[in-house]
Amino acid sequence: MNRKKGDKGFESPRPYKLTHQVVCINNINFQRKSVVGYVELTIFPTVANLNRIKLNSKQCRIYRVRVNDLEAAFIYNDPTLEVCHHESKQNLNYFSNAYAAAVSAVDPDAGNGELCIKVPSELWKHVDELKVLKVHINFSLDQPKGGLHFVVPDMEGNMAERGAHVFSCGYQNSTRFWFPCVDSYSELCTWKLEYTVDAAMVAVSNGDLVETVYTHDMRKKTFHYMLTIPTAASNISLAIGPFEILVDPYMHEVTHFCLPQLLPLLKHTTSYLHEVFEFYEEILTCRYPYSCFKTVFIDEAYVEVAAYASMSIFSTNLLHSAMIIDETPLTRRCLAQALAQQFFGCFISRMSWSDEWVLKGISGYIYGLWMKKTFGVNEYRHWIKQELDQIVAYELKTGGVLLHPIFGGGKEKDNPASHLHFSIKHPHTLSWEYYTMFQCKAHLVMRLIENRISMEFMLQVFNKLLSLASTASSQKFQSHMWSQMLVSTSGFLKSISNVSGKDIQPLIKQWVDQSGVVKFYGSFAFNRKRNVLELEIKQDYTSPGTQKYVGPLKVTVQELDGSFNHTLQIEENSLKHDIPCHSKSRRNKKKKIPLMNGEEVDMDLSAMDADSPLLWIRIDPDMSVLRKVEFEQSDFMWQYQLRYERDVVAQEEAILALEKFPTPASRLALTDILEQEQCFYRVRMLACFCLAKIANSMVSTWTGPPAMKSLFTRMFCCKTCPNIVKTNNFMNFQSYFLQKTMPVAMALLRDVHNLCPKEVLMFILDLIKYNDNRKNKFSDNYYRAELIDALANSVTPAVSVNNEVRTLDNLNPDVRLILEEITRFLNMEKLLPSYRHTITVSCLKAIRVLQKNGHVPSDPALFKSYAEYGHFVDVRIAALEAVVDYTKVDRSYEELQWLLSMVQNDPVPYIRHKILDMLTKNPPFTKNMESPLCNEALVDQLWKLMNSGTSHDWRLRCGAVDLYFTLFGLSRPSCLPLPELGLVLNLKEKKAVLNPTIIPESVANNQEPVISSNNHGQSVGFQNTEDDHLIKETASSISGHQQGVKRKADMPLGSPLEPGQILEKNEDSKVKLKIRFSNSQEEEEIDMDTVHDSQAFIYHHLNMLERPSTPGKEQSSGEITMHPVSAAPLSVFSKESNSSKHSDHHHHHHHEHKKKKKKHKHKHKHKHKHDTKEKEKDPFVFSNSPASARSIRSPSLSD
Amino acid sequence: MGFNVETLPAYAKRSQRMVITAPPVTNQPVTPKALTAGQNKPHPPHIPGHFPEFPDPHTYIKTPTYREPVSDYQVLREKAASQRRDVERALTRFMAKTGETQSLFKDDVSTFPLIAARPFTVPYLTALLPSELEMQQMEETDSSEQDEQTDTENLPLHMSTEEAGPEKENSSVLQQSSSLAGSRNGEENVIDNPYLRPVKKPKIRRKK
Repeated sequence: MNRKKGDKGFESPRPYKLTHQVVCINNINFQRKSVVGYVELTIFPTVANLNRIKLNSKQCRIYRVRVNDLEAAFIYNDPTLEVCHHESKQNLNYFSNAYAAAVSAVDPDAGNGELCIKVPSELWKHVDELKVLKVHINFSLDQPKGGLHFVVPDMEGNMAERGAHVFSCGYQNSTRFWFPCVDSYSELCTWKLEYTVDAAMVAVSNGDLVETVYTHDMRKKTFHYMLTIPTAASNISLAIGPFEILVDPYMHEVTHFCLPQLLPLLKHTTSYLHEVFEFYEEILTCRYPYSCFKTVFIDEAYVEVAAYASMSIFSTNLLHSAMIIDETPLTRRCLAQALAQQFFGCFISRMSWSDEWVLKGISGYIYGLWMKKTFGVNEYRHWIKQELDQIVAYELKTGGVLLHPIFGGGKEKDNPASHLHFSIKHPHTLSWEYYTMFQCKAHLVMRLIENRISMEFMLQVFNKLLSLASTASSQKFQSHMWSQMLVSTSGFLKSISNVSGKDIQPLIKQWVDQSGVVKFYGSFAFNRKRNVLELEIKQDYTSPGTQKYVGPLKVTVQELDGSFNHTLQIEENSLKHDIPCHSKSRRNKKKKIPLMNGEEVDMDLSAMDADSPLLWIRIDPDMSVLRKVEFEQSDFMWQYQLRYERDVVAQEEAILALEKFPTPASRLALTDILEQEQCFYRVRMLACFCLAKIANSMVSTWTGPPAMKSLFTRMFCCKTCPNIVKTNNFMNFQSYFLQKTMPVAMALLRDVHNLCPKEVLMFILDLIKYNDNRKNKFSDNYYRAELIDALANSVTPAVSVNNEVRTLDNLNPDVRLILEEITRFLNMEKLLPSYRHTITVSCLKAIRVLQKNGHVPSDPALFKSYAEYGHFVDVRIAALEAVVDYTKVDRSYEELQWLLSMVQNDPVPYIRHKILDMLTKNPPFTKNMESPLCNEALVDQLWKLMNSGTSHDWRLRCGAVDLYFTLFGLSRPSCLPLPELGLVLNLKEKKAVLNPTIIPESVANNQEPVISSNNHGQSVGFQNTEDDHLIKETASSISGHQQGVKRKADMPLGSPLEPGQILEKNEDSKVKLKIRFSNSQEEEEIDMDTVHDSQAFIYHHLNMLERPSTPGKEQSSGEITMHPVSAAPLSVFSKESNSSKHSDHHHHHHHEHKKKKKKHKHKHKHKHKHDTKEKEKDPFVFSNSPASARSIRSPSLSD
Repeated sequence: MGFNVETLPAYAKRSQRMVITAPPVTNQPVTPKALTAGQNKPHPPHIPGHFPEFPDPHTYIKTPTYREPVSDYQVLREKAASQRRDVERALTRFMAKTGETQSLFKDDVSTFPLIAARPFTVPYLTALLPSELEMQQMEETDSSEQDEQTDTENLPLHMSTEEAGPEKENSSVLQQSSSLAGSRNGEENVIDNPYLRPVKKPKIRRKK
């Protein structure tokens, strides 16, 4: 266990220290997508008896390991390849524990690794003197599925002409996927990197390019890089391709790279970067730590922005020309983010995973400062509000995000995140969404700290961290200073208290050591007699994801005489707070009203309550608590707040609140805001949508033209002919955004029949018709795309006459017009494609809306063709989203299968990830929901996917886990036959059958299977249609005995019904009820291999080094470790010992029995299945599948 | 001559003589007013006064006979819009007819023909690079609106540049001066960037 020791420095979890590493890749073959090379690690033993060296390595084929030129034996063992070794469980709780255990088993922060090298005995003496060791490893990579991504366009020409490139990628520490290393953020060393590539290519990597040398045949060249700043392997990266090179004109040590033909875009896009540099260097009063910086823009990016030591890898889709408005701020934000992470994340690394929040927090925080400076305070506050809303929504939904998880030493069971379906102990087990929210919360908390200690101190702390690190970085390894480059939570807090002298412990405790947000409900009454505002603030701290807040809370009250801040003390039981008012109500005196910012304005006070001097009240206006506030005040107060409060956050809150007050006064307030040019454009955009909602609520009393129409006409149409929009001129970005948004909002208007008013539709069609961009210096692609979105918004459900088939003849005339436009737009895109194909994206979305509303036959074929590899990624995502939606609405098994196969096979990692993400957000069904899609085959398929199918990509695996959770929940999927006492788990796994032979239970066993097959046979058999899948995927399935072990362990978890009962039964009778049902039979033979290790797996966990291992054996260690975590610790022991005992017998019998029995059963089963199908399927019960129907009954049988 | 002169009066008074009446006195016809389309131009100074008058203007002035041009903004826009739409429609229909299509309706493939989606080998190029049309437009507008551009450039997205100007300079004096120097001295040879250096010949085998 890697425990940080506060300021005492860092204690390595390894018995050695790495000082230098050479990575040499001599050959890269784009055709075969393979890489050959070697690494050489220079390590100093820190203990005398070091005889094994554990390193991280995945996917790599290791040919040879030498230590100080002596051949060394090694073992390669990766339990994360397949997390659970049998299909029986299929209960997510079980999986998550096993997965966390597997990740732990190779976690470099715990001193573990997949690769274990035995130090040759000749060197032992050498080691005892703690002398240096050089570990030389030859490896190759063939068609890597993760870590390195090859993009090889399928066309004529050599690789350079084709624009083929390769780059490293991954989620958190993923360097082990492409070369053996200590893949930890806390093991720093210096680097020498060499890449030999085709002469037409460029290799971009970390550190300084020392020289480039041709090979002897002059057909290749070698790039030599030196990185002298100690850096973690996880921050090493690589990009090779026929890049165009651009030296930054402002900073010659900065070089930009892009794919061929994109140089003009690159020039424009990066022309701004130097300003970001200047900004960070200024606020941090610290030079950029590396001697150079490289940006590389590549296709098929894993994430938009990935930061590594002295270089960042960006998606090529961030590049844009000067004509593009919308992408510009987004891209700049990405650049700024990447640069912030250069300081905190790359240069300064972290001690352990639980310190990650400090790095993400600081880089996010300084990025926020950059935003404030660049886009203004309004944009900044809007962003903070948005982030706050997001984290609040997420925490309330899932039950909390914990920034600084502390895991007690040893094997404590109190999981700090028991509400989650994954472990937060490792970055690699985290749901991607959780991790996104984690980063969001981290920077918000940094902002809270800033509020507490002031920005000045905050920046001083950062400066201190940086200067310590840069002193350390220039030291030799022997000085033991390098750990200064690692940040830890305690070190960071210590710096804060040293610099500021303030105690921020309570704040840390509340937001960092604890998860959850605060939920306030506020309401008030004005006591006229006492001239006091009686404010009531309640909290909900019992719902998941909430916590109780105790402490100061700022409340701002705008009265007639001015704006007053009050700090309330929120305590345990005090709900009511009396706030004295400063002004008497006296509205007759015409006097300007002073606002918070000192401005004095005239207000029309006629709307307000004559008795009260209160204009509006705000709770926690500075967002200094991570909270959600639901505050009640009357409509006129919201209206005043919207009109006169200058804070954009307050305005946005008022707009949202006004949705509930559809009155002419609200309408007026919103319209006024819309027209007010000084008002922040995002507020005005938000007002559009609110106005549409209000108009719809007021539909019966609404007077005048449809909302916003006259406004739009006045702002954007010709004076002489109001039905024609002016030719586009997007010079004024604020009005550009408004012009884009208003039609979209207007299209949401509905008349009394709940249809979009004809007038509005015609208006939008006219906007499209008269759109003229010839005189504009900006592209109008986003504008046109939004007009299509507007068309889509105007669509209402078709009136369907007894489910007639949708044909052209019965097409609604309005829809015909819409379709006409969409067709034209979509076709024009083929001839004159728009930037990022925004128009295609909008067209696809619109078509899906038409389908969904029954105007056009629902059909996924079109979307599927756009979702294919080879379309632009945005288009693919839009198309896939439509297919996902179709899958849900039409409950299409075929499409679901199509999607899932894409998850497995698509060449683009981002697409694979995104499909799972979209399926999770828009699931075809959820747990407790009946759906024909929910069947055992699907369970198996997904289980395989997360169990072994996604081992090359952490993010993807966690995505599969998320989906599994959404569909089936934590416990056993409901579509599986219900566990019936002991039998439960075995139902699906034929392998289990073997076990009986091992144990005395065999007798019992014989009977059991029979019984169970009677009971469940049909049901189980039913799902076996999937067998084929299973077979394919079980490639490395596991030994039966292990199943036994696991099964026992799981039972408590697996059968939420009556764990106690089950356990007892197991223990008493020692019956291993293994029924081997139709499942993947063929695999059984393979299992045998792994069986050998069964015994070992326990030892292994204790000391894997002591025994020889073969691939796959380590897998078991994962399981063992998880036992303690399981719900029934008591049973664990006996089980383990049992299982390990059987294991021996096990594999003897394994072969014979398995084969015989299996074939047998299998056939049997299948017949069964068919019968049942015929019999039972017909009744409409199908959704439930006979299986579940059975299983529901079965408990009573067993009783 | 053989003719008796005395008989002349009798002959003149004979009964069947033809009397030729005196032609009626008619007014001199006035030159028709209708043809005086405008004033006759007086002689310009270089033509001596004794030269004949100019003929009536109608003899040499052309009278336009075509209809008045439509200069109404609305109609123009209308026209431009429908023209473009027609062109686009015709073009896309043509493309659709000559190539593969997809349809939203199973029963009808011609009313809303969609040109079939075809994957690209390098999808990002078409998605990111401005089309030729746009490039052309950009050139046109660039030249004409150069000034406006610089104005607005600083507006909403880059609000900061000005405010933060002074401080920024302080902090980055070093860097800026160095980069300025670089660009002043001008050409590429001054820029020392490792990626621009020539590739070395493999004489010495480097291994570190």
